[in-house]
Amino acid sequence: MLVWSRRGRLLTFVLALALFGVLYGLPLGVIALASFAGQWNNVLPSQMTLEHYVNAFRGDSFDQLRHSLVTGCVASLVALVAGTWAALALRRARRLPARVFDAIFFIPSAVPSVSVGLGLLVAFSHKPFLLNGTVWIVLIAHFVLISAFTYGNVTAGLARLPADVEQVAESLGARPGYRLRRVTLPLLAPYLIAAFSLSFALSMGELGATVMVYPPGWVTMPVGIFALSDRGSIFDAAALTMLLAATTLLVLLGLSRIPVRGSAR
Amino acid sequence: MKSPLGTGAAAYRAVAPAADRGSGIAFDGVSVAYGGVTVLEALTLTVNPGEIVALIGPSGSGKTTALRAVAGFVQPATGRIRIGTRDVTDVPPHDRNIGMVVQNYALFPHMRVDENVAFGLRARKAASALVAARVPEALAMVGMAAYARRFPRELSGGQQQRVAIARALAIKPQVLLLDEPLSALDAQIRRSMLDELARLHRELPDLTVLYVTHDQIEALTLADRIGIMRDGKLVAFGPAQALYRHPPNRFAAEFLGRANLLPVTGLEPAADGMARVRFGDVALTARNHHALPAGDECLLCVRPHDVHVEPHADTDNTLVAVVRSIQWQGDTQSVELALGEHVLRLACPPRLTLPGIGDPLPLHFRGTQATLVPVGAALG
Amino acid sequence: MRSGSAGAWVLPPLLLLALLFFYPLLLIVREALGGDGQVPGLAHFGEVLGSRMFRSALWNTMVIAALSTVGCLVLGFVLSVLLAFTPFPGSRMVARLIDTFIALPTFLVALAFTFIYGSAGMINETFVHVLGVARPPVDFLYSQWGVILSEITVYTPFVMRPLLATFSQLDPAQIEVASSLGARALTIVRRIIFPAALPALIAGGSLCLLLTVNEFGIVLFIGAKDVITLPLLVYDLAIQQFDYASACIIAVVNIVLSLGLYTVYRFVLARYGRRRAGLV
Repeated sequence: MLVWSRRGRLLTFVLALALFGVLYGLPLGVIALASFAGQWNNVLPSQMTLEHYVNAFRGDSFDQLRHSLVTGCVASLVALVAGTWAALALRRARRLPARVFDAIFFIPSAVPSVSVGLGLLVAFSHKPFLLNGTVWIVLIAHFVLISAFTYGNVTAGLARLPADVEQVAESLGARPGYRLRRVTLPLLAPYLIAAFSLSFALSMGELGATVMVYPPGWVTMPVGIFALSDRGSIFDAAALTMLLAATTLLVLLGLSRIPVRGSAR
Repeated sequence: MKSPLGTGAAAYRAVAPAADRGSGIAFDGVSVAYGGVTVLEALTLTVNPGEIVALIGPSGSGKTTALRAVAGFVQPATGRIRIGTRDVTDVPPHDRNIGMVVQNYALFPHMRVDENVAFGLRARKAASALVAARVPEALAMVGMAAYARRFPRELSGGQQQRVAIARALAIKPQVLLLDEPLSALDAQIRRSMLDELARLHRELPDLTVLYVTHDQIEALTLADRIGIMRDGKLVAFGPAQALYRHPPNRFAAEFLGRANLLPVTGLEPAADGMARVRFGDVALTARNHHALPAGDECLLCVRPHDVHVEPHADTDNTLVAVVRSIQWQGDTQSVELALGEHVLRLACPPRLTLPGIGDPLPLHFRGTQATLVPVGAALG
Repeated sequence: MRSGSAGAWVLPPLLLLALLFFYPLLLIVREALGGDGQVPGLAHFGEVLGSRMFRSALWNTMVIAALSTVGCLVLGFVLSVLLAFTPFPGSRMVARLIDTFIALPTFLVALAFTFIYGSAGMINETFVHVLGVARPPVDFLYSQWGVILSEITVYTPFVMRPLLATFSQLDPAQIEVASSLGARALTIVRRIIFPAALPALIAGGSLCLLLTVNEFGIVLFIGAKDVITLPLLVYDLAIQQFDYASACIIAVVNIVLSLGLYTVYRFVLARYGRRRAGLV
C-alpha cells in the first residue's frame, strides 16, 4: 500500500526477505545445522550426525530438561496465583495506593537478574532462611523474576473486561466469591493463559539469576548449555538449545490450543 | 392476564417480602458526591408498587446515579433508599433482589443464553427444578425460547437485550432497573423493543420499574410518572400526561416534547381555571393550571401541533408571524416563524398549502390547549 | 471486595514479594555499605567505585545499551514499516516468527553468531576455504560489537511489537490520500508514518535501554575478555572470586541505574498512553 510500482514492490520484497533472513532465519538455521554437525571445518558441516541429540536425551542433559520444565511450571503457577491475586486486590483499591502498589509489583521486572540472584544468595545463606544449595532458591529466583510479567498481563486483562458485566452479576445476587469464580475468572481465562505462557517462556530461558544460585543437583538447561559451550562442546550446546527452544514452543503451542468458551474476542 | 412467571412461589428467597404484590422504591433525601462534586442532590421520590417511573434528563443530570444508588453501586452520602419496606441503603448489591438491564446488555460472553438467564437463580442456590422451569418461561416472555443454546455473540443487539431482560426477570426481582436499555439499538429495533416492553408490563402488572433514559418518547410511551432531572436535581415529577400538558417550569416544558414559550405579562385570572394575559399588546387566554396570581409575569406554553394556521374569527388567540423556514418531513410540515424577536414553531398537515418565506401568516391556538408556566429563577 | 477491605487483600502477595525480593534487595544494600561492620563501610564503597574495573564496566554497559537501543529502533522501524505497509508473500508468517523470537532465550542468538561470525564460523570459513584468504578476516564478534549485534537482534522484536500495534490502528486511507496527493513512499514514511510511530518508538526504546543494561546471557556467551558489563562483573566477583562485598556494591549501582531507567519507562508509558511495549 506504500509502494505501488511493480519494480518497487519486488525491490522491497527482496530487501525485506534479505533482512529477515539474515537477522532471524540465519541464526535459527545455523543452530539447527550445528546441532546435527559431526564435523564443521569448512563453510558447511562436512558430516551430519544425530549424536548430539542422543546426548541431549541422556544423563545430565535429560535431567536438565526435567529441571527446567519443573522450575518453569512451578514458578509460573505460583507467579500466576500471586499475580492474579494482587491484580484483583488492587482493582478496587483507591487510586493513590493502587498506583503505589502497582509500581511495587512491577519493580522486580526492572532489577537485573544477576542482582536478584545475588540478593537471594545473601539473604538465604544463613538461618533462619537457609535455602542456599536447595531447589527452593532456584524456584524463588524464577518466581521473583517473572512475577511482574504475570501481574502485568492479568492487570491488562482486567482492564479489558467488558464493562458492567460484573456489576450485573452482582445485582443478580452473585456474592463476591461466586462472581469471581463464575464471571471474572472465566472472562479472564485468555489473559491467564497468556500470562502463564509468557512466564513459562521467560523461566525456560532464564540464565542470570539461575547461574548465581543453582545447586549442583538442579542444573537447568540454560546453565547446562553454557557449561557445554564453555568447555567447547558447542554442537552439543546447539542440540540442547534446539531442544530447549522446541520444548518451550511446544508448551506455548499447547497452551494456545486450550479452548476458551464463547470468548467475545 | 396472569403472568407466566407467576407460577411457583418466590419461596426460594426469604428476603423477598410480598414479591408477588410488587414493591415500591423510595428515595428519601438521597445525595451522592464523587470527589467533592455533588452529582445527585437530596433526591426524594417514590415509585409505587407496579408503577413505571422514568427518570429523564440530559447526560450528567444524575439520573443514572440515582438508578445505580438503588442497585447499590454508588453509596449515598446522605439519605436512605428503601425497596418495599426494607431499608437497603447499607445492603450490598447482591442482597437487594433487583433486576438490572444496562445499555450495552452486559451478557456473560462465556455462557450460553440459558446459562445467562439461569445465572441469578444459580447464584442464589435455587433448586434445579425451579431453574429448569423458570429459565424457559423467562425466555418465552421475551420471545427468545428458540435461542437458548446460542452464545451471546451469535445474537443481534436487539436479541441480546431481550436475553438481558429475561435474565433480570428470571429471579423475580422486587424491582426492575432499566438503564438506557434501548439506547444502543437502531431506531427501528428501538421502536419494536419499546412496544415489547409495554406488552411485558401489561403481562407483569405488579412489576415495579425504574427506567432511566434521555429519550422523551420512551419515557412518554412507557412511564406512568416521569421525573425530569437537571444538574443532579429533580426539577419536575408527575404523571406523564399532566407533566406534558402543564409543565411546571421552562426546563420541563422544553425537555419533554417541543414547546413554544412566549413571555407574557398582566395575568388576570378568569373562570374555569383560565387566565387572560398580554403578549406585547396582544391579549391571549390560556389555562392557569398552576394558579398563578394576578399581575404575574409568566410564560405561555403551547405545543407546535396545537398551533393552527386556519384563522378562527371567534377567538382572541390570534397572532401574526412571519414565515422563516418550512421543512417538509413526510407526515408533517415543520414551520419556523418569527414573532418579533421570538421564534415560534408549528407542525401542520403535509398537504396544507403555506405561504412563501418572508410572508406573514395568521396563527391561532385554543386557550384550553395553552398553559401558563411560572418563570422560576432557579429553574427558568 | 469493597474498597475498604482492598488493603487487606493485597497483603498476601505483597508480603510474599517483600520476603523474596525486597528483603534480599535490602540485604544487598546493607552488605554494600559495610554489612556486619567487619568491612570499613563507605571506604570500601568508594574504593570499588573508583576502581578501573568498575569504571570500564559502567562505560561498557552504557555504550552497549545505548548503541544497541539505537540499532533496535532503526531496525525495528524499518522492519515494522516493511511488514505493515508493504505486504509481501509470507509477511504474516514473518511477523509471527518475530513474535516467537521473544519467547526464546537471549543467548541463542549469541551462540548462533559464533557459528556465523566466529573465528571458525561460516563467513570466515568462506573467506579462507573458498576465496583463499590466509587469515580469518571477520573479527568483530569477540568485542563489544559482537555483543551489540546480538542484542540488536534479540531486542528488535520488543520495539516491533508496539510499532506493529500502532500501525495496525493507522487508517490506511491516510496513506492512500497522501499518495493521491502526490506524496512518494519516503515522504509518506517521513511525514505520516514516523510521527504516528513516535510514541511507540519512545516506549519501545526506553524498554530496550532497560533490558540491554540488564542483559547478562549474551555477554556471558560471547565471552570476550575485555567486554565486562555491570551484570557480568557482579557474577564474576561473586561466583568466581567469592568477593560478595564488592559484588554487592556493583549490584547496588546496577540496580539504581536500572530503577532510574525503569522510572523513565513508566513515565513514558504514562505520558504516551499505556500501549505496553511488549512485555513489561
